[in-house]
Amino acid sequence: MTLLLAQTTQAMTQGVTIALALSAALFTVGLIGFLVRRNMILMFLCTELMLQAASIAFIAFGRMRGDTGGQVFVIFILTVAAAEAALALGLVVLLYRRRETLSAEAWQELHDS
Amino acid sequence: MNPSANLVNAPMMPWYIAAAIGAAGLLLVMRPGRATIRQAGAVIGLAGFGMLLAFALKLAGGGTPAPSTPFLIAFAAVGIIGAVRVVTHPRPVFAAIYFILTVLAAAATFLVLDAEFLAFALIIVYAGAILITYLFVLMLAHQSPEDEAGRIGAEDYDRVPREPFVAVALGFFLLAALGSAIERAPEMALENASAAPARVLSRQAAALQAMPATMLAQAKAKEPTATSLARDAAGSASSSDGRTVQVRVNAEGGAIRAVSVDPAEAVSNVQVVGLDLVAKYPASLELAGVILLMAMFGAVVLARRQIELGEDERRKAAGLGGMVLDVPEHERGDA
Repeated sequence: MTLLLAQTTQAMTQGVTIALALSAALFTVGLIGFLVRRNMILMFLCTELMLQAASIAFIAFGRMRGDTGGQVFVIFILTVAAAEAALALGLVVLLYRRRETLSAEAWQELHDS
Repeated sequence: MNPSANLVNAPMMPWYIAAAIGAAGLLLVMRPGRATIRQAGAVIGLAGFGMLLAFALKLAGGGTPAPSTPFLIAFAAVGIIGAVRVVTHPRPVFAAIYFILTVLAAAATFLVLDAEFLAFALIIVYAGAILITYLFVLMLAHQSPEDEAGRIGAEDYDRVPREPFVAVALGFFLLAALGSAIERAPEMALENASAAPARVLSRQAAALQAMPATMLAQAKAKEPTATSLARDAAGSASSSDGRTVQVRVNAEGGAIRAVSVDPAEAVSNVQVVGLDLVAKYPASLELAGVILLMAMFGAVVLARRQIELGEDERRKAAGLGGMVLDVPEHERGDA
């Protein structure tokens, strides 16, 4: 901690910028994956990728401003991700039992079957 | 000045070019079929990513790289390669395992950005719990098909992407928009950066003052004869100048001594985050608990198998006794 604090402001800007670039790239890849993937579980996995990118951005901005609020928010992101995983996977298992496939296209027509 | 030169000199142009190259690479990597095309796509995508990083570094003002910068670049590369494999790998289980790689890279980034607690929390919660749940469900719900030769293949819906061109184009626009936001970030950072270390220290000093036991322990490390904090008339035992904290303690023989403590060494990341979580955001913490509880209820309700009960079982469940005579299991066969 002290070592990093002693670094020049320039170095911190570098770190924050790279982290933000990583965050942007991860979010983009996650979005593309959500649109491109046809497996329901992997679509949810790609939303987790986007959450991950948001976490990195929070941490980076928190570091930039010297504020721990970003880190606290990431704790809540973790909570929501865990809840989402539990519910989404439960739903996916239910859907899989009905159609015996994980393909999202099996559910294109929404009607009571 | 002609418009085309203006376009090339536009500050965001390298970012757009890098994003476009990366997008083209990703598009090629996603194509089902020949492996050579995918490998070429990987090379192109990596080139685009390298440009992106170089541009980000240039945005940060160039200059001598910090000791942590090469590590950050390596972690970012690992994270993005993992993410791309999550999106493109034809076998879902491998995609999930590559996601763990991305999580590890993100955790390493957190470490470099001074968020030690969250780095390990991320590994434990994400890689340890959430991803294992995903893997379980994948293995439970899914059997990879085998071809005639017995090789394990992939389902069609995992192999062939849906609307790759549209998705990648959309992603490119998103990345360009995010990039223009990041371009403004270093200016903000430079405004804040000079003040940031001082601000971190003063926040830690405030955190230290909110934790009397920690403060006393730190003071004891400097002054072994200290017995308790000596509070002044206002009830405060410390004063801070933003760099060090002066802690007043009762020492041996009733003397009051002032000990100076460096807040950066006195309180750890875990303590600061924990104090913030409990003291500044208690309502959110409770709300997170409610969300988890509701998720648990939801999961239980979803996982419960729906069983059609007959009239008899329903009566029994209601404690009314069966309509037919209750015959023990082993006697039912010869009835």
